Amino acid sequence: MSNDGNKGRGPIIRIRGLNKAYRSGPETVRVLRDVDLDVYSGDMIAVMGPSGTGKSTLLFILGLLLRPGSGSYSILGRDAFGLGRSGQAAFRRKCIGFVFQSCNLFERTTVYENLEFPLIYSGVKPRLRRGLIREALDRVGLSHRLRHPANQLSGGEQQRVAIARALVNRPSIILADEPTGQLDRANGQQVMEHFAGIVSSNKTAMIVVTHDPSVAAVCNRVYALENGRLTPEVDKGVPA
Amino acid sequence: MLKTRDLLRISVRQVVRQGKRTLGVALAIALGTAGLIAVATMGDEVKNNLNRDLDLLGGATVIRLGFEEEVHPGSRPQWFRSETVEAVRDLDGVDTASLATGDIDWLPVLWEDRFYAIPIQGVDEYYWHTMGLSALEGRLLDQQDLAARSRVCVMGLELAGNLFGDGAAVGRLFSIRRDLYEVVGVVGGLQIRDRARFAFLPLGTLLDRGEGCPLPDRLYVRCRTWDDVEPVAAAIPGLVAANQPDEYLRMDVAWGPLERIKTVVWWVELFIYLSIAATLVLGGFGIWSGMMTSVAARTREIGLKKAMGAEDMDIMKQFLAESLALGLGSAALGVGLARLVVAGLGSYLGSAPPWPVFNSYAGHCLWFSALLALAAGFYPALRASRMDVVTAIRYE
Ligand SMILES: Nc1ncnc2c1ncn2[C@@H]1O[C@H](COP(=O)(O)OP(=O)(O)OP(=O)(O)O)[C@@H](O)[C@H]1O
Ligand SMILES: [Mg+2]
Repeated sequence: MSNDGNKGRGPIIRIRGLNKAYRSGPETVRVLRDVDLDVYSGDMIAVMGPSGTGKSTLLFILGLLLRPGSGSYSILGRDAFGLGRSGQAAFRRKCIGFVFQSCNLFERTTVYENLEFPLIYSGVKPRLRRGLIREALDRVGLSHRLRHPANQLSGGEQQRVAIARALVNRPSIILADEPTGQLDRANGQQVMEHFAGIVSSNKTAMIVVTHDPSVAAVCNRVYALENGRLTPEVDKGVPA
Repeated sequence: MLKTRDLLRISVRQVVRQGKRTLGVALAIALGTAGLIAVATMGDEVKNNLNRDLDLLGGATVIRLGFEEEVHPGSRPQWFRSETVEAVRDLDGVDTASLATGDIDWLPVLWEDRFYAIPIQGVDEYYWHTMGLSALEGRLLDQQDLAARSRVCVMGLELAGNLFGDGAAVGRLFSIRRDLYEVVGVVGGLQIRDRARFAFLPLGTLLDRGEGCPLPDRLYVRCRTWDDVEPVAAAIPGLVAANQPDEYLRMDVAWGPLERIKTVVWWVELFIYLSIAATLVLGGFGIWSGMMTSVAARTREIGLKKAMGAEDMDIMKQFLAESLALGLGSAALGVGLARLVVAGLGSYLGSAPPWPVFNSYAGHCLWFSALLALAAGFYPALRASRMDVVTAIRYE
C-alpha cells in the first residue's frame, strides 16, 4: 500500500518535539525524546521496539489519555492539548478506538453489553445499536457470541471482542497495543487483515504497537522506538 | 453524555449482578427501614391502646379534683359549677371529665326487712369511662337516667354479691329511706378497688334528696395520653379560678405511676430508635464501604470507560446511580416488609392500621434512603470519577 496520494491533504495526526519523562522517586526516566510523527488517513503504522521503551506511553499520549512534558500535537486539525478534559473525552468518543495490551473487557457483562458502552457514551439511539454491534462483531467473526458472558470467552476471542469494540464507533483513528499478542499466528494474521481492510475502506488511520514482524508486514510504515527516539525503519523486517 | 435510561439500566444491572456482595447491606437497610416504618406507624396506635385499654396503668392519666373545706371549719362548702366542668372538658388533652359527689357514708338501705349501711356516690354518665369501669351485668347509668333523675342504681361487684348473691342483682328493688330504687347494673373493672362496695346513683337524683348535703364537689378528669397529664394539671387551677371560687381546691395527680410509665416508655422508645438509627448508620456505612470496594475492584473498568470517552461526570453519575439503586431497592424491600409487620401488628392489636400514616412514613423513608445512598455513595463516586485513566488502565 502506498499513501503518497494522501499526503497532499494534510495529516490527521501531527506530532512535533514530543517529550515525556516519568519521575519515580529521585530518578527521572526520559521515555520519549523529541518524537515527530505525521499520520495520514489510510495509514497503517507499526511501532516496534524492546519492552519498556515507551510504546504504550506514546499510544496513551496519541489517545489523549496522557499529557506529555512538552511538544505539540494536532489531531484532525485541532490542538489536542488545548481541548480541555471534556473536549478530549468527546474526541475519544467520536474519533478514537482503543485496543489495550490486556484485560480489555468489562467483567460481569456479555459481549453485546461490552460493545454497547461506546455507543451509549456517544449517544447512539438504542434502536441503531444492535445493527452496529452485529456489524462490528461480524468483522472479527464473533457475531454468534452476542449474548455470551465476556469472561467465558477464550483469550483470543476476548481480544477479538475488544477489537470489535474499538471499531464499533467507526473511529477515524485506531490505537492498538499488541492486539494480536494473545492470538495464534493464523488468527493474528486474520485480525490484521481485517484491520487493513477497515483502514483502506473507511478513511481510517491505525497505529499498532507490536513485537511481531508479521504484524508489521501488514503495515505501510514501520517505526522503531528505541532510547526514546522514534525512527522510521528503512528495512521492513520481513518474517523469516 | 449518558442518557438517564441507559444510566438506570446499567446501574440496576450492575447492582443485581454484584449479588452476594451487596446482599448484606441491602438486608440491613431493608430491616432498618421496616423497623422504622412499623414503629412510627404503630407507635401512636400502640400508645392509644395502652392509654385506652390498659387499666394496669393504675389510672395514672386520671386527675382527681376536690375541695378541702372540711379541714377549715367555718368556711363555706364548695362545689364544681357546670361552667367549670364544661371548661375543663374543652381543655386540650382532656378525654372526659366526670362530676360526682363525695362519698356519702353508710346510707341505710332496706332489703328484705333488714337494714344495711352502704356507701353511696352520686355520679354522672361520664363516670364509667373516666374511671375505667365497665358493666359486668345489666347497664350503666346513662344520660337519660341523669336527665330524668330516675330512681335507679348501679352496684359495685362486691356489694351486689353480698346483698343478692352472684348474678342476681339486676332488676332487684330496694329502698333508701322509704324511696324504692331499681338495680340496673353491676359494675366492675380493674380500677374498681374499694368502689366495689359502693352503690352509684344518678347525680341529680341524689342531689334532689337534699339530706346529708351531698354536693358535686368531685371532678375526675381523664387525659387522653400520659403526655397530656402535665399540661392539663397545670391548666386546671386557672380554669377553676376563672369560673368560680377556688378556695381550698385540691388536685391529686398520680405523679409516681405516671413517671414510671413515662420512664419505661421513654427507654423503650429510645432503644427502638437507637437500634433503627444504628441499622441506618450501618446501612449507610455499608453502602459507603461497598461502593469503595467496588470502585477499587473496578479500577480497570473505569479506565476503559474513560478511554472510550466517558466523561468524569458520567462515571460519577454511574456510581451514584448504583448507590441509589442499592439504597432505594433495599428501602423498597423494607417498605414491603413493614407492610406485613404493620398488618400483623394491626390484627394482633385488633385495630385497623392507619394506612395513610403508613404511606406517609413509607414515602419519607424512601426519600431518606435515597438521600442516605447519595450521601454514602458520593465520596466513592467522586474517587471513581477523579481516577487517572492511565493508572487505571495499567492496573491489573
Ligand atoms: N507512572 C509511571 N511512573 C514511572 N515510570 C513509568 C510509569 N509508567 C511507565 N513507566 C516507565 O516508563 C517506561 C515505558 O513504559 P511503557 O509501558 O510505555 O513501555 P512499553 O514500551 O509499552 O513496554 P512493553 O512493551 O513491555 O509494554 C517503562 O520503563 C516504565 O517502567
Ligand atoms: Mg506496553
